[in-house]
Amino acid sequence: MSAQLWALAVVGAVVLAAAGLETLRSRRARRLAAGVTAAAAPDPYILYFTGDSCTVCKTHQEPALAKLGGVRVDRVDAIEERGLADRFHVYTLPTTVVMAADGRAVHVNYGYAPAPKLERQLADARVGQVNIATA
Amino acid sequence: MSTSPSLVVDHSALKVNQTGIIVTVLVAFVGSALWRPLLVLIPLLAIVLLLGTFVPRLALFKQLYFQVLKPRGLVKPRPVQDRPEPHNFAQGLGGVFLAVASIFLIPLPVVGLALALLVAVLAFVNLAFGYCLGCQIFFQLEKRGFVKA
Repeated sequence: MSAQLWALAVVGAVVLAAAGLETLRSRRARRLAAGVTAAAAPDPYILYFTGDSCTVCKTHQEPALAKLGGVRVDRVDAIEERGLADRFHVYTLPTTVVMAADGRAVHVNYGYAPAPKLERQLADARVGQVNIATA
Repeated sequence: MSTSPSLVVDHSALKVNQTGIIVTVLVAFVGSALWRPLLVLIPLLAIVLLLGTFVPRLALFKQLYFQVLKPRGLVKPRPVQDRPEPHNFAQGLGGVFLAVASIFLIPLPVVGLALALLVAVLAFVNLAFGYCLGCQIFFQLEKRGFVKA
């Protein structure tokens, strides 16, 4: 039984370490993406980085984006448009970037972002708040 | 800004596969504390996953879904526009980890059990939250041009 307990402890430590590293990585990517600009638009919009290999995009992210109603969503294939993906430090899919009307990245979400969170971030973009580091 | 055409993947088959992995590893993990020969389930699962990766008709859990569970209406199909390659890659990766775990089971059981349990944890994360680590690794390899769609 002791081998099982030790194995459980090892897996627990690995999972915690992975979660910690993921947090650091996403914080770093958000910091690097701060200030990045794309095309200006009449209203805030979303850059949605996806790809054929992304299942969560299809099962979770796209239904969440569909709930946003009339918001413009620019779908970007992260493999085909690697240059744009690299500018926003896209390291995981899906990644959603909430853009202000003047073309500034206001919030970056690495991984699935539910509709209520995107709505809050779009509201920030409408009033011009920049909160990229804490998104 | 573009989209490429996608195939349809039955996600219920993937869920049954993940459930099979979790149950088998848990039975081996917990059961081996009482009866050590149950550890043989881990190399057997490695063989099942690796065979299923290269010869899909030999994917035991998926065949259980397609031949038994789906025709009898026990599990409803869930077709999603998707590509099978990332899921096959993830399954193969699980198989490789379990094969490595099998090598360690006798000389270093803690390492072998930990690797097998890690595969079960990742299968659970995929089953419960839809996050597929193997698919993310596939994305990174695709981004760097190591694998092609």
